[in-house]
Amino acid sequence: MTSRSDQPMLVATDIHRHFEGMHAVDGVTIEVAPGKITGLIGPNGAGKSTFMAVLAGTLPSTSGTIVFDGKDITRLPAYRRARLGLVRTFQLPSEFARLTVLENLLVAAQHNRGDSLFGALMGKRYWIEDERKLVQQARTLLKRFGMTAKESDYAGTMSGGQKRLIEIMRALMLQPRLLLLDEPMSGVHPKIVQEIQYYLQDLRHEGLTILMVEHELHMVERLCDTVVVMAQGKVIGSGTMSSLRKQQEIVDAYLVG
Amino acid sequence: MNSYYAINLLIYAGVDIIACLALNLQFGVAGIVNFSFIVFQAVGAYTAAVLSMPPDTAPDYSFQIYVGGLQLPFPIPWIGGAIAGGLLAVPVGFVVLRKLRSDYQAIALLVLSVIANTVITNARPFLNGAAGLALVPAPLADLFDPATYGYFYVGLTAVCTALVALVAFRIVNSPYGRTLRAMREHEVAATAIGKNPVALKMTIFIVGGVIAGLSGGILTGYITFWAPSVWLYPETIILFAAVIVGGRGNNLGAVLGALLVPVGFEEVTRFIPSSIGPPGLIPALQWVAIGLLIIGFLWFRPEGVRPEPRRVFEGAPD
Repeated sequence: MTSRSDQPMLVATDIHRHFEGMHAVDGVTIEVAPGKITGLIGPNGAGKSTFMAVLAGTLPSTSGTIVFDGKDITRLPAYRRARLGLVRTFQLPSEFARLTVLENLLVAAQHNRGDSLFGALMGKRYWIEDERKLVQQARTLLKRFGMTAKESDYAGTMSGGQKRLIEIMRALMLQPRLLLLDEPMSGVHPKIVQEIQYYLQDLRHEGLTILMVEHELHMVERLCDTVVVMAQGKVIGSGTMSSLRKQQEIVDAYLVG
Repeated sequence: MNSYYAINLLIYAGVDIIACLALNLQFGVAGIVNFSFIVFQAVGAYTAAVLSMPPDTAPDYSFQIYVGGLQLPFPIPWIGGAIAGGLLAVPVGFVVLRKLRSDYQAIALLVLSVIANTVITNARPFLNGAAGLALVPAPLADLFDPATYGYFYVGLTAVCTALVALVAFRIVNSPYGRTLRAMREHEVAATAIGKNPVALKMTIFIVGGVIAGLSGGILTGYITFWAPSVWLYPETIILFAAVIVGGRGNNLGAVLGALLVPVGFEEVTRFIPSSIGPPGLIPALQWVAIGLLIIGFLWFRPEGVRPEPRRVFEGAPD
C-alpha cells in the first residue's frame, strides 16, 4: 500500500468535463501526495463528484491528463484503473444487495482462479485454495470493521452506515494504492461516522493514500493533511484547513459558518 | 399412459430444462433480459437440420429449398447447432450489450426476435420460408429398431441435459458466478472493483447461445421438423415464466420451472376439452394464463418457488 518515492500518487492536469455546454469540471489540476489524506471540499454543484468520477474513469474527461503513480491512465476504462489500484466508492450506497456481506468482499478480490469461465468450468477443486485464502482475508477485514456477525446477511439488509463500511472493506479487498471516497460519511449514523473516521486514520497510518470528498468541515479538519477547495468547476485554493480559513475569498465562497 | 407419450414428454422436458438452465445463466444470474432467446434455439435447430439433411436436390427433399444439405453424421449437426448459437451471440451481443441500458437491451432483443422470424418466414430460398424444413433425419436412426429408438433418444437427451446442468452448476457456484451476480446487482460498482461488464456479459451471452443452439439441435432431431411457427417470440416468454416461477438465479429452480411451466402447464391444459367455447379459445386462454402466472409470481413471490440460495461459508458465525 505504501509508495516509496515522494512523487505524487496522482497528478491530474487541466481536467475538463463538459455536459452539453455546462462546464462541470473546468480545468482542474491537482496532485495527491502519497500516504496522505487529501480532502476535496466545495459547495454543492462545485463539480467534486464529477471530478472524482473522471479520476476513477466512470465518466470520461473532455480533456486533460491523469497520471497515476507515474503511468498515464487518461484513456484507461474504469475497470482497468481499479485493477491498477485506483479504487473509488460512491456517494450513494452501492452494495451488491443480493450478495452476502462476505460475498461483497470476496467478489472484489483480484486473484481468484475461479473468477473466469475457464476456472469455473474446471470445478471447485481448481479454485478452492484461492477461495479459502480470500475468505480468511475478508474475515480479517470484517473483524477489524466490527462486522463479523453480519457476514452471512444480505448486504441489502444492512443500515446506511454498515453499507458504507462494506463499501470501504470491498475497496480494501482490491489492495488499493489510492482510495477515492465520495462523501463516505453522508447518510451515516453519527456513531458510525466516528468509527469511519477512526478507520480512515488507521488506514492512513498504514500508508494508504486517500482522496475524499466531504462536506463536514470539522471532519475534514481532523482527517485531512491537505485540502483542495473547488467552486464552479475550478480549484479556488488548497493547503491546510487552517491556512484556508485565512483566505478571505475562500471563506466567502464556501467556509462561512 | 402409453410409452410414446412418456418418451415425448421426457424429451420435451430435457429440451426445456436445457433451455431454462441457459436462460437462467443469462437472466437469473447475469441479469441480461434476453428476449430473443428462442432465436438462438432456432439457429441451432436450423443449423443442425441443414447439416444433417441431404441437399435439396435429393429426390425425397426436392419439395423444399434450403442452403446446406451436407448430410454430416451425428453428432456433428448438434455440435454445429451449438456453435451456431454461440456465433450468433457474438454480433448480437456486440450490438446490444455494449452501449445500451439494460431495459433498452431487452427491447432491442425482443425486436430482433420478431425481425428474425419475419425474415426467415419470407426469405424462402434460405430455409424454406414459412413451410419450414421437414424430414430432418433423426440422429443414428438406422442403428435402432423404430420401437426402441425413442428410448435411445431419451438417453441422448438425458446425457446432454446432464452435461449442461454440470456446466450451469459449476458456473453458478463458482467465484465467476459470484462476479456475474455482482454485475447483475450493481453494474457500475462492479466496474469500480475491476470487473469488465461488457466482457462478462458477452461471455455469458455466448455460453447461453451455445446451450440454446444445442437445445434446438436436440428438438429438431426428434420432431424432424423446424419452421418459423415454432419459434415465435412468445416461446421466449414461456421460458421466462419458467425461470421466474422456478426461481431466478437458482439452477434447481430453473429445472423445476421447466417442469412446471412449459412441460406441466402446457400438458395440463391439453386435457381441457377443446369443445368449450369458440375454436381457438383454449390456446388463447393458455397465453392469458402464462401472463397471469408471471404477474402473480412477480407480485406475490418474486423470488420463485426455489429462491436463489444465500451463500453461507464454512466457519461462519451463527
